[in-house]
Amino acid sequence: MSRVVLVLPGRGSYTERTMRQLPAEHPWVQEAEALRAKLGLEPLLELDRAERFSPARHLRPAHVSPLIYLRTMLDVERVRREYEVVAIVGNSMGWYTALAAGGALSFEDGFRLVQQMSMLQEEHGSDGGQIVYPLVGEDWKRIPERESAVEAVVREQAGELFHSIHLGGQAVLAGSRAGLNAATEALESVQQGRITYPLRLAQHGPYHTPLVDATAMAARTFAADLVFRQPEIELIDGLGRRHTPWGAELEALRDYTFGAQIVGTYDFTRSVEVALCEHAPEHLVATGPGNTLGGICGQILIGLHWRGIDSKDAFLAAQDGDTPPLISLDR
Amino acid sequence: MSADRVTIVEENLDRLLAELPEPDRILAPEEPLRPGSSLTAARARNLFEDMLLSRTLDIAARALKAKGEGFYTISSAGHELNATVGALLRPTDPCLLHYRSGALFASRLRQLPGSTPTWDTLLSLTASAEDPASGGRHKVWGSRAAWIPPQTSTIASHLPKAVGMAFALGRARRLEVEAGLGPLSDLPQDAVVMCSFGDASSNHATALAGINAARYAKRKGNPVPILFVCEDNQRGISVETPSRWVQDTWDSRRHLNFFDAVGEIDQVWDTVELAIRTCRQQRGPVFLRIETIRLWGHAGSDVETAYRTLDDIEATEARDPILAAARRLVATGAATPAQLRQILASTRARVTAAMPEATQRPKLTDPAKIVQPLAPNEPERWKAAATQALPEDARRAVFGRRLPEEEQSSTRRTLAARINQALHDEMLRHPEMILFGEDVGRKGGVYGLSQRLQERFGQARCFDTLLDETTILGVAQGAAQVGLLPVPEIQYLAYLHNAIDQLRGEACSTAYFSNGAFTNPMVVRIAGLAYQKGFGGHFHNDNSIGALREIPGLAMACPSRGADAARMLRGAMAMAAESKRVVAFLEPIALYHERDLYEAGDEGWLSDYPAPDGSADSALLPGEVGVHQPDAGDLLIVSYANGYRLSLRAARAWEEATGKRARVVDLRWLNPLPHEAVRAHAAECGRVLVVDECRATGAGIADALIADLAEHGFAGRIKSVRGMDAYIPLADAANLVLVGEEQIRAGIEEVMA
Repeated sequence: MSRVVLVLPGRGSYTERTMRQLPAEHPWVQEAEALRAKLGLEPLLELDRAERFSPARHLRPAHVSPLIYLRTMLDVERVRREYEVVAIVGNSMGWYTALAAGGALSFEDGFRLVQQMSMLQEEHGSDGGQIVYPLVGEDWKRIPERESAVEAVVREQAGELFHSIHLGGQAVLAGSRAGLNAATEALESVQQGRITYPLRLAQHGPYHTPLVDATAMAARTFAADLVFRQPEIELIDGLGRRHTPWGAELEALRDYTFGAQIVGTYDFTRSVEVALCEHAPEHLVATGPGNTLGGICGQILIGLHWRGIDSKDAFLAAQDGDTPPLISLDR
Repeated sequence: MSADRVTIVEENLDRLLAELPEPDRILAPEEPLRPGSSLTAARARNLFEDMLLSRTLDIAARALKAKGEGFYTISSAGHELNATVGALLRPTDPCLLHYRSGALFASRLRQLPGSTPTWDTLLSLTASAEDPASGGRHKVWGSRAAWIPPQTSTIASHLPKAVGMAFALGRARRLEVEAGLGPLSDLPQDAVVMCSFGDASSNHATALAGINAARYAKRKGNPVPILFVCEDNQRGISVETPSRWVQDTWDSRRHLNFFDAVGEIDQVWDTVELAIRTCRQQRGPVFLRIETIRLWGHAGSDVETAYRTLDDIEATEARDPILAAARRLVATGAATPAQLRQILASTRARVTAAMPEATQRPKLTDPAKIVQPLAPNEPERWKAAATQALPEDARRAVFGRRLPEEEQSSTRRTLAARINQALHDEMLRHPEMILFGEDVGRKGGVYGLSQRLQERFGQARCFDTLLDETTILGVAQGAAQVGLLPVPEIQYLAYLHNAIDQLRGEACSTAYFSNGAFTNPMVVRIAGLAYQKGFGGHFHNDNSIGALREIPGLAMACPSRGADAARMLRGAMAMAAESKRVVAFLEPIALYHERDLYEAGDEGWLSDYPAPDGSADSALLPGEVGVHQPDAGDLLIVSYANGYRLSLRAARAWEEATGKRARVVDLRWLNPLPHEAVRAHAAECGRVLVVDECRATGAGIADALIADLAEHGFAGRIKSVRGMDAYIPLADAANLVLVGEEQIRAGIEEVMA
């Protein structure tokens, strides 16, 4: 079996295109629906099978997060049958999924964590949010001027604007409304495909910044119920720390999950780099829903010059080769 | 044979892990291995992984070497218990590591999320330009984030600077408070400095100097939180260390706490923890011996059977610390055999998979890039920094009634006085500057060069050291690495040779072997050269600078006149402060108090002080030579220091006798040599005489200057006069081996013939 590192997506991954993939009869789907019912929340299958995709409805954190969790976990189950998974990384809320995917939480506890966090995010919603800004061109080459511009505005807006996620060739910034406005004004507008950047992410709060400290505080009160266990598979968190089946310290896992993970920058790039450098897997395997992290992983591989991949073209060529560095399950 | 032993040791571990019985009781992850120990089951398993990673990388190193893809095989095998030190020290406790520190490196980096010890080590073994420790220049343990300044020393020459750093931590803190400076480094107030070495290396003079200096500092009441870690494998290459030699030498010494880490992994852990705590709390030197073994010879090329019996080798292998740790973890219930097998399988798989990836990484291919960190050349920055004007009110507060430029008395206008005054100005300019050496404090220096500095800038910034040049240069390196700007004084050039490896092997290599991640800027003042009228003998009249000139990256200034010295000192300080360079500032003793040039009483050697007024010529940089009679063109005389003064005298006598006029150039900087200037003047004059007061054979600059002129097509006549290849004798005999005016005159005649 090939040695692979699993890459689990975060919040932007569930879209119209990824609807209608939940198998109603799967025990996890049923378990999830039972938990939703207890909380008086709309059934996930109804959402998933709705006639049309409604951003306002589907992208509500309390709806979209468990949909993503469920869909990811189903992919993980499949991957574990086909590959030797040597480590798991996740982006942002993908960390919660990773905890369950790697066995540090049961399926149920993982679901509760995702569900609760999404509800807390709604409850403690502030006027802030997240924006995405590309640090690379459409050819995925770094554009240093953009990096400097991002650094400058983050510096200028200290306390109002933060690095939220280091996401390959994308800067994800989060902040208060003032901070975001300043960033939108300061950063030169960039058109890539049909999207204009800086792009404000719908229904996203200022995650991974001190502005959501209240969420972290509230999370810690319900977290006591969650039973953390030794993971079966190594987890690499958003600081790039390895939590191994033999060495994970459960308190450290809990502290990170309800502390630094919520209020500190999530360094997804570093987590993938650590996975590559310390495990040298045959492939990265990006699970669904969607393929939001495919390009991001490609950009991280280019950043490392992994296996000589130094450009988007080289990445695409490698993807067509015998050992593609990245396998995306939901392209 | 050694490859076979590698397999045997691996098989021993596999067999043990297959045979170990299940533990009676499994500890919870946070439960200690035994009551009272802070080593918990989870930490112990992580430690075991770090030990295995180190071992697996050692085996990888040999595999890579066999394929021609790896370049270093001195291994950590048998020393893996040093992982306890890596886990227990904080990442903000600087660690200066010897080469068998793989497990320590792994456990220390574990404390820093996002670090990649496997990958970093493989890049280092394969000499990749991406190696984060040295950029592919050496297989060293290093990390800026983890405060591991890379050490190349195999001879314990890193101990003096480790001690210097421990001493300087407190000194830097004091300056931060007293001078109201911002933090000079990112180290916390209670940091300790650790350095490791083997039992054989503990006999090196530098090890003894380092430990002695630490004890001395402690005895004097200075905080010096240094943890000496002696990894005792009872052998230096083929030579066995006498039984209990390390314990007998270092146990029960005053002003040094001794700890002996032996026994099971949890016992070693607890002893290491106690040693660190003692060092941290008492702020004094601690000697920690860790009992280790050495597997597979000194290095991959060392055939151990040439000097050990097979029984002996097998007995050592049976004491493999990884076997012992496995037994202990299972016996205490900290791990199941299956868990340990899982760790082993995972580690082997990781390293096996990463190895071929690492070999593909880019190598150093560009000579310019290789030398790039060695000697950054930024003259514009230096000039701008060195010519910053100093505020008059602050200067008046330092100098009192009269500023140096207002001094009238001849004793205040000599070379010695000008250097002393310039040091005052530089202390004012650089609040992080410290000046130290033998007799520099209360006495103000043997020749008065540091007079009043202690009084005016305090004992924290100007202080006496013990009588050991190795220690002085060690303190300079350590102090520089924690953000101070040291100006150590070496009392006599001959004393430097005793300690010169601290410059050659250590200080000047720091930026190079850390790829610029660590630096130790300093200006080393050295009183030297001869011409003390036969007084003092060889040790006070040494005239060999070859040993300094060949050190890569070392800049060397050698002023002859007071005003030049002040301007050059500003340049030298800027090179250190701005570009983190190491600069030797060689001061000709015989000219310190010289007043006259041509006749007794002419006071031609006194000079006006160049005020630090912001003018472009208030500082001098390498390449800026002094030119006497620039309009003269019959002959070019090139010299420096005493030779320059003698050349001026000889040139005048020649002019008086023949009417011919010589242009005389003072090189001022002996490294790098101002070749361009010399070539230009030579081309204009047509004939060249090099007057080199140092010894004839490679000890001075004559060879280099003449070779450069020849290689650049200078077609005129060239001649040199040099000191004889001799140590300087006493009394008038000294003049017989040194260059004198007569020889210069004879040289002139010859080159003009």
